[in-house]
Amino acid sequence: MTTINRQDSNTPVTAPPIASSKQPLPTVKTVDTQSVRKRLQSELMALMMSGDSGISAFPEEDNLFNWKGTISGSKDTVFEGTEYKLSLSFPNDYPFKSPKVKFETSCFHPNVDVFGNICLDILQDKWSSAYDVRTILISIQSLLGEPNTASPLNTQAASLWGNQEEYRKMVEKLYKPVA
Amino acid sequence: MFCVSAMVVEDATSSVCDLGILDSLNGDAVREIMETWNGYCFATEAALLNGRGDLSCGSKLVSQARNLCKYGLESLVEEHFAGFLEETFEKNGASKFWEHFDVYSNVAAREMIMDRPYKDSTPEKRQNSGGTERLHLLSKYQSMVSSVLWLLFLLIFLTTVHNLAGDDYRSSALESIKGWIQAVPLQFLHALLAYLGDSINYDDTPSSGLKSPLVLCPSSCYAGIDSPSEGLVRWQFRLEYFAYETLQDLRIAKLFEIIVDYPDSSPAIEDLKQCLEYTGQHSKLVVSFISALRYRLLTAGASTNDLLHLYVSTIKALRTIDPAGVFLEAVGEPIREYLKGRKDTIKCIVTMLTDGTGGNSNGPGNTGDSLLEELNRDEESQVNTGVDDDFNTDDKQAWINAHRWEPDPVEADPLKGSRNQRKVDILGMIVSIIGSKDQLVNEYRVMLAEKLLNKSDYDIDAEIRTLELLKIHFGESSMQRCEIMLNDLIDSKRTNANLKATILQRSQAGLLYKRIFELGRAEAVGENGVSLDILNATIISSNFWPPIQDESFNIPEPVDRLLSDYAKRFNEVKTPRKLLWKKNLGTVKLELQFEDRSLQFTVTPLHASIITQFQDQTSWTSKNLSAAIGLPIDVLHRRINFWISKGILSESLGADSNDHIFTLVDGTADTSKTGANTGGYEELVVGDDDGDRSVASVEDQLHKEMAVYEKFVIMMLGSLGGMESHKIHNKLKMFYVADPRYDKSPQQLESFLSGLVAEDKLELIDGGIYKPV
Repeated sequence: MTTINRQDSNTPVTAPPIASSKQPLPTVKTVDTQSVRKRLQSELMALMMSGDSGISAFPEEDNLFNWKGTISGSKDTVFEGTEYKLSLSFPNDYPFKSPKVKFETSCFHPNVDVFGNICLDILQDKWSSAYDVRTILISIQSLLGEPNTASPLNTQAASLWGNQEEYRKMVEKLYKPVA
Repeated sequence: MFCVSAMVVEDATSSVCDLGILDSLNGDAVREIMETWNGYCFATEAALLNGRGDLSCGSKLVSQARNLCKYGLESLVEEHFAGFLEETFEKNGASKFWEHFDVYSNVAAREMIMDRPYKDSTPEKRQNSGGTERLHLLSKYQSMVSSVLWLLFLLIFLTTVHNLAGDDYRSSALESIKGWIQAVPLQFLHALLAYLGDSINYDDTPSSGLKSPLVLCPSSCYAGIDSPSEGLVRWQFRLEYFAYETLQDLRIAKLFEIIVDYPDSSPAIEDLKQCLEYTGQHSKLVVSFISALRYRLLTAGASTNDLLHLYVSTIKALRTIDPAGVFLEAVGEPIREYLKGRKDTIKCIVTMLTDGTGGNSNGPGNTGDSLLEELNRDEESQVNTGVDDDFNTDDKQAWINAHRWEPDPVEADPLKGSRNQRKVDILGMIVSIIGSKDQLVNEYRVMLAEKLLNKSDYDIDAEIRTLELLKIHFGESSMQRCEIMLNDLIDSKRTNANLKATILQRSQAGLLYKRIFELGRAEAVGENGVSLDILNATIISSNFWPPIQDESFNIPEPVDRLLSDYAKRFNEVKTPRKLLWKKNLGTVKLELQFEDRSLQFTVTPLHASIITQFQDQTSWTSKNLSAAIGLPIDVLHRRINFWISKGILSESLGADSNDHIFTLVDGTADTSKTGANTGGYEELVVGDDDGDRSVASVEDQLHKEMAVYEKFVIMMLGSLGGMESHKIHNKLKMFYVADPRYDKSPQQLESFLSGLVAEDKLELIDGGIYKPV
């Protein structure tokens, strides 16, 4: 639901510049691409050098705008011992717009739907250019252990969350590690 | 056998003759024919086998032959006689003939030839019919004899060449073979051709007056033959070619052995070169040698040193055979590829390059010498050298080069570049294994540092010489750091002398000085009046030296005082420079005095510090000792082993199982162990166990540099899964943007990755894929 909201709210914001100035757009865009690349590169370096455990991400193939990431479930949560693959795709106007982040591995979680879409505020309306890949990954990692059951995408998971023991069983049953 | 042949002949005759004749033969006639035939056969046998002088058999034979002829069986008679003659000749005459050959008696050979007309007289007598028929028979006989002879001749020729060539590569076989050809086969052929009237072989060549160009060549003297006929000269060339080819095949098959003992086997190489000039079968050499290499050299069992030595020998040997280096390129390729895969290649190369000069007879100094000699030779002969100097040639040089140009041999692979890139420069070819001269220079620098730091005198003449040679090949600029290192040594010597003489004030280039100490004759340790005389310092400009291993420990107090005293004086002389001692480097000469003996050692400062502790207290627990020296226990255990192995200390278990007790061995207690050392002089080869190097090796440096990529690589593999090393290399090149940028070679990365595998941080699975654990 929030996803839809975000798109609704975003469309009017981005529309005016495209409509108003068609001529300078290409140059602006290339310059932007350059700076976006730079930003992504430095984010990558920061992430690689941070040495945070349990999260990692790296550009897929040679495209700097599509990354593959992994998140492992934190200790002492029902997700402990699991590892999830994510895909991150960055828009051309990153970091002014949030990247699209999806679970590639199916994840039984109140805020993740069957297609892997994630409902997380900082990926939608609360996005700020101060966030980066590392903070996104850390946020998602913590989201695993602390779901927002109030506005679930997966109602079954939300209702089961109360019973952690049963939930753990469900996670184990549905967990399919990617080779 | 006779019966069978008779029957066969009978059958043959009956089928050939028309039936009319058969009809005309009555039983008596048939019987007569059979009898005569048998008689004839016996007579033939008798005439030919029982020797030449006995002509009585001959007359019998002739009459029987006549009888047979009456029945129209001339052809049969002829054939049988010829066949039998051939057989006999092969059996008796030929073997005798070649026996004579073997003893090099051409007189005998000629006699044998002369014998032939006599033998021939038998059929002549028998067949005294028309002249034409006789000629026919004669020519038939001649061709038969020559074909038999030729066959045997080849056999003998081959075995003789093999015998002459033998397995001795230290002398040239070609000359003796040529001599033999002159002495024996040619004489024989001369006789044979004379006998055949010089007609058989060449009568059929068109007599248009066109002579073979070979014949026009001035041929060498023909002993005993006045004017060589054309046929004979042709024969000579034919034989020589045959000899060349045989010898060439023989040598190519053994080329590997020949190259293994190359400098000694150069006559064989020279032979091969001449043979190949004649035959032009270079490609045979390449194919056969490469397969020999694959099979015998490029295996895990061959040490890198051997590989390199053989590579150098190959270059030298093949350079003789083929100065353009075309075949060398083809042959060298597999060796180079293989060497690239070896980790210690660079080290071995540098050792090879420098060992001959160091006067260090530890390694196989032989090739070291020859490599240096190679450098020397190049130094003298080449005006414009340098591995990458090819484009700096001035106009004059270019003109000279243009004049010297020769086309590449046909076998040259046009894809492999022209002659210019292919010049046979041993050093260049060796450097090409490593890839860049920088790596080689770096490795040399580390080795040089090691060598210099372990010098107890300031004698660096040999190193200076090597450096000068290297400078010629690699350019001044790349050897600059090494030069500074050598200069440090020279300066140290001067400074040291100055300080000791307390001569003050001397200005010097503004380099940062660090100081390495070296103790001379430290038996004075423990006395109060330790004088500066026993101390020689090596002052190094640390910026230009390879990273130096640091290991801190407490050195004996008097020595420490000595050091600070020295440093203070240095500071006085060279204000504002100060000395920073690297206390773990250098060598200590010390003498241990026991009640009944004294022992001399040259050891590292650390070893000296350990043994000094036992001066006042003969027994230490490892804990206390490590505290006293300021060394971690495990390091102490490793180092103290030196003294234990020398029988100076003994080790026993203490109360606590982790706490060992080391005791000074009393002089009389263990003479058997130390007896050999009594009064002797022991030298510890510094750096012989790998924890003991004073300079960080190139690999260590590389691993340190690569450590920054560790997180990156592990993270990356974590998110993308396993990857081959070349992919990792590409990713690093593309995405590693921090300063300094990723600039390592795929080989370096590979070695780093295998390091990570060894540390269990990565695992290597099938297909060369590295995976996070």
